[in-house]
Amino acid sequence: MKRGSIKQERRKYIFLQMVQWTVFSLLILGAFLLATSGSFLKPMLLIPLALCISSHTGEIQATAVGMISGLLMDITCGKLLGYNAIWMVVSCVAVSLLYTYILRQKLLNILILTAACVLVQGYLDYLFYYAIWGYEDVVQIYTRTILPSSCLTLVSVLLFYVPLKWIAEKCGSHRVQELEKTIISAYRD
Amino acid sequence: MGNFLKSTKCKIILCILALLIGIMIYAVSQGGYTISSIGIFKSIAAPFQRASNAISEQVEHVLELYVNADDCYRENQALKEEIAILHAELADYEATKDELAELKEFVGIKEKHKDFTLTSPFDVVGYVTNDPYGTFMINGGTEHGVELYAPVVTEQGMVGIITEVGDETATVTTILSPEVFISAGSSTLRETGVVTGSVALLKYGYCKLDYLDKETRLRKGQAIVTTGENGHFPKGYIIGYVQEIEQDAAGMTAYATVDPAVDLSNLSKVVVIADFEGKEERDEAR
Repeated sequence: MKRGSIKQERRKYIFLQMVQWTVFSLLILGAFLLATSGSFLKPMLLIPLALCISSHTGEIQATAVGMISGLLMDITCGKLLGYNAIWMVVSCVAVSLLYTYILRQKLLNILILTAACVLVQGYLDYLFYYAIWGYEDVVQIYTRTILPSSCLTLVSVLLFYVPLKWIAEKCGSHRVQELEKTIISAYRD
Repeated sequence: MGNFLKSTKCKIILCILALLIGIMIYAVSQGGYTISSIGIFKSIAAPFQRASNAISEQVEHVLELYVNADDCYRENQALKEEIAILHAELADYEATKDELAELKEFVGIKEKHKDFTLTSPFDVVGYVTNDPYGTFMINGGTEHGVELYAPVVTEQGMVGIITEVGDETATVTTILSPEVFISAGSSTLRETGVVTGSVALLKYGYCKLDYLDKETRLRKGQAIVTTGENGHFPKGYIIGYVQEIEQDAAGMTAYATVDPAVDLSNLSKVVVIADFEGKEERDEAR
């Protein structure tokens, strides 16, 4: 009986993990589509999304999420292929490690981490794509385009934080605990 | 944390980072930076980009409906009856008419400038995200006769130049970018200078006609056209209209702020000038 319930729990866990990653993938695709539409100033939704996902996953999954979202950012922003991907992999792995070893799931934590990531990414963008050419009044690009976009990106963390936390709790960590409990009780019996 | 640095996971992550750096170096070595110009990736990305653009157009349309819901609703009520009748009999006719009108615009260019060899009109498949200069991609590449640095226009005026080209897509940098320099002047060509983008004028959507004589006789509203010097751009194509005349900071020259004749933030179709009189000069210079 107990062996049967472990199998059932495991199946449930795998199914919920699939649901979780399908939802994450659809959200990433949605953020990519939004980034490719229109010529107006918009937040880079892929950054907070990737960081929020990484805060709920292990390092390897965070690497994959960072790499995919970074490459998608390179496509939408017309940047050197791999430029954003490298920074996103570093950021996502750092977030995943910080949440594994040091931080707790609090909104303030992810806000601070996203702010740091977005500001560094924005500054590197400004430095390598605009400031380096030394155009007149080039700082206006930072104040009128990059900074507002970074602020919008930071605010958009609020869009993802609660839903992602809910999905991760329902499909991820909570399920692992249940599975562990079932295994322990089976072992005791 | 110390254990992580020694773990296999850490090694895998470092390998992925090395792979990404490798991709970046490969991209640079291919002479292009973005996905549209890199051999291996462009064929993989092309259908994906087309699909994503089609979906994003739909998403954009839906979002627009929500943003302008009130206006749309009122307009919708007023036009509902009319549309219901017209739609039944004019659905095909309207679509064909629109397409024809769009194509006619481009035929107009050919009528005015007989020396031009134009490509077929290309769709603007997407603007580069948060690019201050309004750089965009078109669905035409070398397979359609698009060349690097070829001028991109609409019937209203000059749009920009091709700065990256792949087999099926190309990147267009607009005249708002400080990277673009066009020899231009008044329609009488008595006053000439160089049209280029200016970061300070981006907020108004203007570019500037630089290096004018400080006693310039240019006035507000005058048309600015290409001079055709050096064979980079055809002669006499409209760029925009003078808004203001200002003195250069050093006081040696003057410059005019130019309002582009084309609304660069809202383009749907453009055409590339593949050949024109005087182009040989550019090819020879190369």
